[in-house]
Amino acid sequence: MFGRSRSWVGGQGKSKNIHSLDHLKYMYHVLTKNTTVTDHNRNLLVETIRSITEILIWGDQNDSSVFDFFLEKNMFAFFLNILRQKSGRYVCVQLLQTLNILFENIRHETSLYYLLSNNHVNSIIVHKFDFSDEEIMAYYISFLKTLSLKLNNHTVHFFYNEHTNDFALYTEAIKFFNHPESMVRIAVRTITLNVYKVDNQHMLHYIRDKTAVPYFSNLVWFIGSHVIELDKCVQTDEEHKNRGKLSDLVAEHLDHLHYLNDILIINCEFLNDVLTDHLLNRLFLPLYVFSLVSQETRKINPQVSLYLLSQVFLIIHYQPLVNALADVIFNGDLSVFIPQTGMQDTHSGGVRRFTKPPESLERLLELSRHRGRKRTQKRPNYKNLGEEDEDTHTRGGGGGGGGGGGSSSSREGADEEIEMVVMETCKVSELTEQNITDEEKTAAATRTHTQRSRPFLEMVYSALDCTNDDYHALFVLCLLYAVSHSKGINSDLLERLQLPVPDQERSSYSLVLAERLIRVMSQAAQPDGRVRLATLELSCLLLKQSVLSGSPCVTNTSKPLNVEYLMMDASILLPPTGTPLTGIDFVKRLPCGDVEKTRRAIRVFFMLRSLSLQLQGEPETQLPLTRPEDLIKTDDVLDLNNSDLIACMVVSKDGGQAQRFLAVDVYQMSLVEPETKRLGWGVVKFAGLLQDMQVSGVEDDSRALNIIIHKPSSNPHAKPLPILQANFIFADHIRCIIAKQRLAKGRIQARRMKMQRIAALLDLPVQPSTTEVLGFGQTANASPGGLPFRFYEQSRRAPNDPTASRAVFASVDKVPGFAVAHCVSQHTPSPLSSPSTPSSGSGSTGRCDSVTTSTISAQSPADDGTFLESTPPSSSCGEGEGGGPPPTLAPSLTPASQPTISLLTDSNADTLSVESLTLLPPADSVIPLPPPPKKTKDMLITRPFGVASNILMI
Amino acid sequence: MAYAYLFKYIIIGDTGVGKSCLLLQFTDKRFQPVHDLTIGVEFGARMITIDGKQIKLQIWDTAGQESFRSITRSYYRGAAGALLVYDITRRDTFNHLTTWLEDARQHSNSNMVIMLIGNKSDLESRREVKKEEGEAFAREHGLIFMETSAKTASNVEEAFINTAKEIYEKIQEGVFDINNEANGIKIGPQHPTTNSTLPGSQGGQQAGGGCC
Repeated sequence: MFGRSRSWVGGQGKSKNIHSLDHLKYMYHVLTKNTTVTDHNRNLLVETIRSITEILIWGDQNDSSVFDFFLEKNMFAFFLNILRQKSGRYVCVQLLQTLNILFENIRHETSLYYLLSNNHVNSIIVHKFDFSDEEIMAYYISFLKTLSLKLNNHTVHFFYNEHTNDFALYTEAIKFFNHPESMVRIAVRTITLNVYKVDNQHMLHYIRDKTAVPYFSNLVWFIGSHVIELDKCVQTDEEHKNRGKLSDLVAEHLDHLHYLNDILIINCEFLNDVLTDHLLNRLFLPLYVFSLVSQETRKINPQVSLYLLSQVFLIIHYQPLVNALADVIFNGDLSVFIPQTGMQDTHSGGVRRFTKPPESLERLLELSRHRGRKRTQKRPNYKNLGEEDEDTHTRGGGGGGGGGGGSSSSREGADEEIEMVVMETCKVSELTEQNITDEEKTAAATRTHTQRSRPFLEMVYSALDCTNDDYHALFVLCLLYAVSHSKGINSDLLERLQLPVPDQERSSYSLVLAERLIRVMSQAAQPDGRVRLATLELSCLLLKQSVLSGSPCVTNTSKPLNVEYLMMDASILLPPTGTPLTGIDFVKRLPCGDVEKTRRAIRVFFMLRSLSLQLQGEPETQLPLTRPEDLIKTDDVLDLNNSDLIACMVVSKDGGQAQRFLAVDVYQMSLVEPETKRLGWGVVKFAGLLQDMQVSGVEDDSRALNIIIHKPSSNPHAKPLPILQANFIFADHIRCIIAKQRLAKGRIQARRMKMQRIAALLDLPVQPSTTEVLGFGQTANASPGGLPFRFYEQSRRAPNDPTASRAVFASVDKVPGFAVAHCVSQHTPSPLSSPSTPSSGSGSTGRCDSVTTSTISAQSPADDGTFLESTPPSSSCGEGEGGGPPPTLAPSLTPASQPTISLLTDSNADTLSVESLTLLPPADSVIPLPPPPKKTKDMLITRPFGVASNILMI
Repeated sequence: MAYAYLFKYIIIGDTGVGKSCLLLQFTDKRFQPVHDLTIGVEFGARMITIDGKQIKLQIWDTAGQESFRSITRSYYRGAAGALLVYDITRRDTFNHLTTWLEDARQHSNSNMVIMLIGNKSDLESRREVKKEEGEAFAREHGLIFMETSAKTASNVEEAFINTAKEIYEKIQEGVFDINNEANGIKIGPQHPTTNSTLPGSQGGQQAGGGCC
């Protein structure tokens, strides 16, 4: 339609003609002939306005005379004239689009100044469009946003009028701060931020004195209303059905906090003062913090409050705000809610409560503007405005933004929309307003009872109790984590409270906190403990932070917990669940079924193990089981003397052929080709883990094997990805059989090695045949007969089948509790004496290492009957590595023997000593303490927890 | 103007890659691209038809707001589709895609459809990023890919409409919760009563999505 219309407007349709001064003159002519909008000329006018935009932008880029003409003829006035005629949606949208394009594309500052100079733009900003039309609304707010992006110290004067105290761009925009359409709200926020960013003192003073109280009080109320809705959503939830809505509300709350933080980090000091005052005294304290205590009168549930407070501390780092907030939570009592207590903050008249602002934002803005005109002398600052608000409070009450009525009829649609939101929140406000004095009552009551209590802190600590569940505890841990990591919080405050300060030297830590944390851990270590993995991980983190000095910064193999992400997840707001059907991440829910219980137990073990190592300052020596640096890699050069090699032709799937020698190492098979320079050496062309290998015969060729090696994957559900897939053709069928056997044996032995290593890790006794397998160096020619197969078969079933595991580990006479080497003398050694309740209290006040270990070990023997059956408690004292040196971890260090070959590199061979490679036979000596000095390559087995072996049996 | 659905899009990418020009080119055909005029817009809306249904696209350019974390966050979350644009004549704009994508994935809802667009395909002589590279990047990250030119209008229509089709399919599959406006999808004010199959089929879809 428009395409055709251009032909009669633009003459011959040549673009050169359209973009020219002459054409603009013609457009001007059209405008002068059509000053009144009618049905007949509407299309013509729309196309004319559109063409003018195009010419102006073209002029800005190519010919400045175009702009001169536009200004000279004051063509902007025509636009306004058309706009004011209620010319209808079609024309409105076109005008707004034109303005958008105009201000977006203008590149020359002077052109921009020209456009802004005659105040037409402000007239358009205050024009009452039909905001009920979503397209007009969108174009309008985009227009304001485009303008706000042009704001700087120079252009601000075109929008902000010092003499009349007008700043239409800003005040019109913030009226939509609670618009139901999210994109509109986002645009409003953008506009406000762009305004605050401009460093113009006069303008900012105006913002503070005339708009800050109305805007921030409404904003804070808006946020609070969302919070109450969120809380309702949590309370009314059944079986996690509200999760979708809840995650939106949580995301909304995060948006609010990020917005507040964006304002605060612009760091406009006096604006921040007002905002901090409102946030603290009208939202965070009366709504969030107050709800931590006082059951009857609280407005939201404590767990919601804890969750939201953690978010606050994670996101907002503005010092005056977070410091004051933290001080109340950790130091304050309910007296902060009593008016006139002489607290440091008297800005809001001393009363801290969450109440609806007396008037709608629009009305408040209007009021403060008039007030400003009449009584500038008398009421120069926002503090007095606050009082005035209190005065008018009774009158404005539940009116629900009735002040909006002053606007003209064309705006009514939009007003309704806004009011609808306000009305909704009104219902809430009525509820809360009944409770206005509750804070005071409760506060007064508490004061008479206790002299100096810290009810919030007490609540926080008592919520760490995980006896029934860890619903609250997780949030408390997050809160503590967030507070201790907040850049805005004074480290003095943290130190005084003995809260964990990361990366700092310290002399003391909070016994109470440490004890509670340890209690969480010991609950987590119970087979049926109702503690989620995320909770445990956080407790470990906090305990480390509390008691370790300096920054140990031990690199963990697993990805560290991202608390900020954790707290973005709405699903943890609902009571902990066990069912995976909810789609909640495993670490954020309880295990379901035996497999998951085992998974959880294994993870608990690893976490506690690593915590114990770190607290004792010992290095990790056993994990991961396979370290990449120990493996043979492609292009390694190896000494193959004394190795068994089998020559073969490797025919890969795509037809490529290569002559190679097949060699089998401890964990790997490799394909080598001879090194040209040194006799008996070889260059590795391929190396793959035996555990990822599949070997099968080739049907019509008895000399060939088909071998597939998959890429190692940590995810059991991932589709295996082959890294090698080839036919190996040997000289004859005998060599083929030998190769097959060698690979099969290698695989079995690799598995046994790993099982031994796992057993050692779990403090499980080592199988008698171990030495033969592991210490090839000495005696390994005894080929493992049927036993390995049994071992292999059983170990596959082991995690789920108690009988199988008994069979595997039965031949042993060791006990889990023995491992607590350092503490063995400190606690009762009898594993049967302690019931399942851990007696952490006794040990918790000691130094860190004994604390943890005793807690864990105290309960360890109690929970698994199966295990006790197979392990007589008599030999509970330590054994294990005994006098013998511990096993080495590096597989490539293992010396050569039958039937595997050794692929030693020179450097490694030097450091080898035979004894260091022998795995401990079960010895009955006591664990040496401290460990004997070792060569650098040697490693120590540390045995942190007796609980380990239990865990695997659960 | 009645529509069955409204989809909200955002356009992201480095400055100067031609985001606002693409947007104007798509939303307003009356502005014809010519060599001596570069013109764009930060907001636009247009009606398209998919599967016989009127669908309104509302496209928001996020340019200039990157410095505020709260703003980008909210924009991503409120959109059903995103056009991630780079300039084929500027290698750096292609190199920054990963950062953009990380941001988008982190903040958006997981169903957001992302289309990768290599813009300025008319400037073949100055090309720095091969089409194959764009394709590979898209494949690797599960995006739809297209090279466009706002100047010649080549593929512009397709880019926006294919994204809409993808969103529409997701609605049909019940992946998107259309009753939740926070996802960037809105059901039209006057639901077409002539098309009685629509509400029924939706209900079925949703039930299907709920049980798995």
